Formats: sequence, structure tokens, C-alpha cells
Amino acid sequence: MKKALITGITGQDGAYLSEFLLNKGYEVHGLRRRSASFNMARIKHLVAHPRLKLHYGDLTDSTNLTRLIGEIKPDEIYNLGAQSHVAVSFEEPEYTADCDGLGTMRLLEAIRLLGLTKKTRIYQASTSELYGKVQEIPQSEKTPFYPRSPYGVAKMYAYWITINYRESYDIFACNGILFNHESPLRGEEFVTRKITRAMARILLGEQKCLYMGNINSLRDWGHARDYVRAMWLILQQKKAEDFVIATGKQYSVRKFIELAAKELGITVGWKGKGTGETGYVKSVKPRPGLEADVKVKVGDVIVRIDPKFYRPAEVETLLGNPAKSRKVLGWKPETSFEGLVSEMAEGDLQLALSEHCLAKAGYGAVKNC
Amino acid sequence: MKKALITGSRGQDGAYLSRFLLDKGYKVYGADRGGDTGIWRLRELGIEGKVKEISLDLLEPTNIMDALEKIMPNEIYNFAAQSIVKLSFDQPVLTAEVNAVGVTRMLEAIRKVCPAARFYQASTAELFGSTGGAQRNETTAFYPKSPYAVAKLYAHWITVNYRQAYGLHANCGILFNHESPLRGEEFVTRKITAAAASIKKGLQEKVTVGNLEARRDWGYAKEYVEGMWLILQQPKPDDYILATGETHTVREFVEAAFAAAGIKLKWKGSGLSEKGLNAKTGKVVVEVSKEFYRPAEVDLLVGDASKAKLKLGWKPKTGFAELVKLMVDAELKRLEKKKVNL
Repeated sequence: MKKALITGITGQDGAYLSEFLLNKGYEVHGLRRRSASFNMARIKHLVAHPRLKLHYGDLTDSTNLTRLIGEIKPDEIYNLGAQSHVAVSFEEPEYTADCDGLGTMRLLEAIRLLGLTKKTRIYQASTSELYGKVQEIPQSEKTPFYPRSPYGVAKMYAYWITINYRESYDIFACNGILFNHESPLRGEEFVTRKITRAMARILLGEQKCLYMGNINSLRDWGHARDYVRAMWLILQQKKAEDFVIATGKQYSVRKFIELAAKELGITVGWKGKGTGETGYVKSVKPRPGLEADVKVKVGDVIVRIDPKFYRPAEVETLLGNPAKSRKVLGWKPETSFEGLVSEMAEGDLQLALSEHCLAKAGYGAVKNC
Repeated sequence: MKKALITGSRGQDGAYLSRFLLDKGYKVYGADRGGDTGIWRLRELGIEGKVKEISLDLLEPTNIMDALEKIMPNEIYNFAAQSIVKLSFDQPVLTAEVNAVGVTRMLEAIRKVCPAARFYQASTAELFGSTGGAQRNETTAFYPKSPYAVAKLYAHWITVNYRQAYGLHANCGILFNHESPLRGEEFVTRKITAAAASIKKGLQEKVTVGNLEARRDWGYAKEYVEGMWLILQQPKPDDYILATGETHTVREFVEAAFAAAGIKLKWKGSGLSEKGLNAKTGKVVVEVSKEFYRPAEVDLLVGDASKAKLKLGWKPKTGFAELVKLMVDAELKRLEKKKVNL
């Protein structure tokens, strides 16, 4: 039986990947940080699985990582653990570097030190944020990087140290340069999830308005479920290589808002410019059965710009060229952009409805955020 | 009076820059680890006691902020680093902590304490690693080949990022190899020139080196520190390459060094068993060992400094043969002095 170790198992990708690997018959070991808040929501349906084992660990702790890897002796390591929020990285640049950059090196060092270089393959979660201020469109494995945030710079360290250990010690170490990948399991602090969650709550009158940063940013968005399959494929190849994983299609944040609203029966119109731009309700057509709960009205302003959500250095556009992964891995995404937004909007509608019911019954009214 | 802070002021570049800035009338503050180990450099340049020592360690964020608050420098030159490529394979964590995260700590402190200060980050040609045979300029893509280079790459981009995100006058000088009599003896050039002089004087039998075919673009450190200073005098922050644009192999360096010491070399054998013989006596004076090879070698490093020439008016003056000779002469002089002192 193959053994995999996943860092960041409690995150979006960790949850999808552990499910995927368990279905493939793997014994899955997950690294999670001790935290005051319980963070197991995404994998709660898996924790009872006999082949899933969770360990306390931290990417900033070399001794801990080395001991765990030495005990587990995994065939595959997926390094998904990170301080993964771009805006937070401007606030916490040092921690971001330690965890996202040096953390990767600590894993590679453990493999080397334990003499597992021939056994253990490692996947490094690289990111389209490496391209930052893009040097060509679309971006491929050959496009030079230009990171625009402490997160991007830390991830660049991780990218190159992965290649360096591959070249220096012949470790099967690969980068997947993943463009944005979303799902109903995305953290609420990420823009896509923030949008779908806000739209559902606005629909039901649990929230008045959605505050946004740069809504003209362009991104290449796929579904996380498709992307974890690519991670696994990357480690099944004969040769260790780096791959861009993307859809090759691009949409604006604005388009994401419009589609998410449309899923709920709201048509959004736009007025004004720059920081004064607002999104208002042009029409509402509640779906059958929800008429009584829908509170949003035509003319309501439901989107506003708040410069606090602008990044100190913006990444305007990201578009991946997935030609290599299609050719070498035979990978392509199964979920379309529309399908992705629809699934996320639906998930958040159900969540908001249950909150709404609780609130109506007088339990734990959720404050507007 | 302008105030400059140099981290690593007792290293080769720190010492030359201290001298340069003191001559220009700056008040110079130096932050160094490791006690007195580098003080000899300041002594050789006649500035011992002239650089004000300050406690600042790149591992300590609050310490950095305290130091900046005390000095309120106009210019900050960040040379402090674990600067030995080979050691970075053994100590990748320390290398990253100092060379990479240390720069973030410094930039964060500047942003909070003295955002108007101008910052120079010592980037390096090692960033380019192996990216083909052409000359590297400021737009060439990087390909770091060691934990040292990966850490320096992080430092380079975090500097660019703080410039763009916060408008700091933060600059990177991508310096190709720059040598001098003040180079540390663990570096190949100084090791060779020191050995050539000692062998000449009969104080040493031979020297062991790594890859003889490795090619580098070697300039004179004393001239490069002027380039760094010029970078910080520009109205707009930017990144520049400083290089000679000429490359030579380690083998050529060895030959030139022994020639400068008055020993003609003859090569025999190949690969790891190749030896350099004193052509006159037939004695083995140069050996090759795998020990000094890097796990991942960079094969050719040549820089294109035309941007620095155009915008800074900077260009190197000392040629390769002249550089090797002045390094060997300095070694011979040191040995003479030692003898006199004995």
C-alpha cells in the first residue's frame, strides 16, 4: 500500500487530495497545526477513515518534520501547507517566508537527511502568483517570474529550492504551478468564496453589501477537485518535471460577481468609476420556494469598492498555458468556470439558508460583516 | 553629515565601502557578527576604529529596528550574508534565515523606522546559475543553482517588492565575482593567490582546487563598491548589474597567479587526476579534488554592465591579469611583513 503525507491537509486542496488518494487506496497521513480553533471542517467526513492518519506538525519545525517523515517513510509528499493568503503576507512577511519558503526546504532536507531520496517523491504547491507582473501572456513553464507580494517571493524561494534539490540530490521533486483553483471548500477570506458567501447572505438579508478591492483583476479559475488530480499525476511520471496547471481561460473578478449573483436570481448592474463604483440590483427573480426569504430589492447597492482590499502591489492579470500538462500528463479540467461558480453559489446558498433559519428561530443571529 | 549603515562592514566589500564612504565624509556605522575576525581588513585599509560598531543582527527584528532608530541612516548597504556557496548546501537553513528572511526583516524595519533611507541589497551573479551561454543583463531570467543563490533570489525579489509596494528607495546590485587582497581565504581566488605566494616562499607545498574549467567574470572589489554607492545616488531606485563582461577559467586564474609569483606551471593528466607541476622543479603544486566541486555547478557567469555604464557612468578599470597580480603581490608583501615581524 502506498503512503502519502499531505501538509496542509485541513485546507481546500488537502481535503480534495486526501479524498482522492484514499479512493486510490493510499494510506494518507496528514499534517495539521495545533490551533486554538478547531480547523477540521473540510475533512470531517474523512477523519473516521481507517487509512487516514493525522499528525500534529508544523512546517516551521525541522525536528518535527524530520521525525514524522522518518516514521512514516512516505512514498509521496504533497506540500500544500502554507500561509496562503496574499494580502496577509504583506502583514506577516517574515512568517510567510519561514513557512512557505523555508518550510519547503525543511521537507527536502528531511528527505535528504533520512536517505529517502530514492523512495520519497515530493510535490511542491507552486502558484501563478509567481508570475505576478506577467512577462508574457499566457504564462507557461518557461515564462520568467515576477512576484508581487511577500507570498509570491516566498513561494519563489520554494519553487527554486525544489528544483535545486532535484538537481543536486536527484530527489523526485516537482513543482505544480497552479493557477487559481476554487471550490465550496475555499476559505472565506479568499475573494471567490467571499463573493459567493456574500451574495447568498445579501439575497436573504443577512448582509447588506459586499466590499471589494480591484474587481477588474483577471484570473484563470479552475475547480480544486480537478487540480488535485493533476498533483497526483505529476508524481506518477517517469521524470521529475514542473507543470503549469490551468484552464487557459480568463475571467474578471467582476464577471465572477455577476455570475454568482445570477445563480441566485440577481442581475447586477454597475454605476460609477474607480473607488466610487457600485454594483446594484437591476432585477431579482427568486427561485421557487425562496420568495418569502428573499430580502434584496431592485435598486439596492450590494457591491462597493473599499481601497483597503487593494494590494500594495497589484497582480492585474493571470492566464495559464496548460499545453504541457495536457500533452505530458493527459490532464484537462472537467469543471467549467460557469460550473464552478454555480457549485460555489449553491453551496453558500445552502449555508446561508441554514444560518437564516437559525437566525429566524432566534439562535446565534449572525452579524453582518 | 551623511550617515551610512553597512551590515557586514568587515567583509571584503564592507571594508572597501567603509573606506570609500569615510573618504567622502560619511559617518559610517558597521554591523558585524563573529567578533574581531574581519578587523584585519579595516586595519589594512587604515580605517580601524573609524567605523562605528553597532549591534545589529539580521536574525533579530527588534534589534534591527532599535539600531535604525539610533542611527537614522541616510543609506543602508546590506552585505551581511552567509556568503559561501558550498557551505549553503550544508547549512541551507541558516543561509536562508540570514540571506533571505534577514532582508525582509531589514526592509520591514526601514519601512517602519526610516522609510526615506536608501537601501542597497547585495544581489549576485549566482542568481543566474546556468541560463545558457549569452551575457546576463538586468532582464535575463534567473536560474539559481545552490541554496545560497535561492536565498539571494528571495532577497532580490523582496527588495523589488518593497520598492514597488511601499515606494522605498530599495535597490539591488547584481554583482559578478569581485575579488581583491581582502577576499576571505575560503574563496577560490584568494585561496589560489595566497597559496601561490606561500609556495613561492617555500611555506606551502601545494594547493587543492575544484573544477578548473569553471568560468567566471572577475572584477576588482574596490571598484565595485563605487558602483554600489552610485546606485544609491540616483533619483530613482533600480537594479543594476556590475561586471567586467569578460570571463576566465579557474585554470587561467591559477596560471596567472603562479606566473605573478614567478612560477611557470605545466599541466599533466586530466579530470580529477590532473595536476599542475612547477615546470622548473617538476614538483606538484596544484591538485584537483572532488571535495571542492559543488553538487550543482554553475558553468559560466558573464555579465553585461552596459546599463550601469550608461546610467551610472560606472565601468571597471582593472583587467584580469592586473587583478590577479595585485592579489599575489599583496600576499607576498604580507609574507615579507610576517617574516620581518618574526
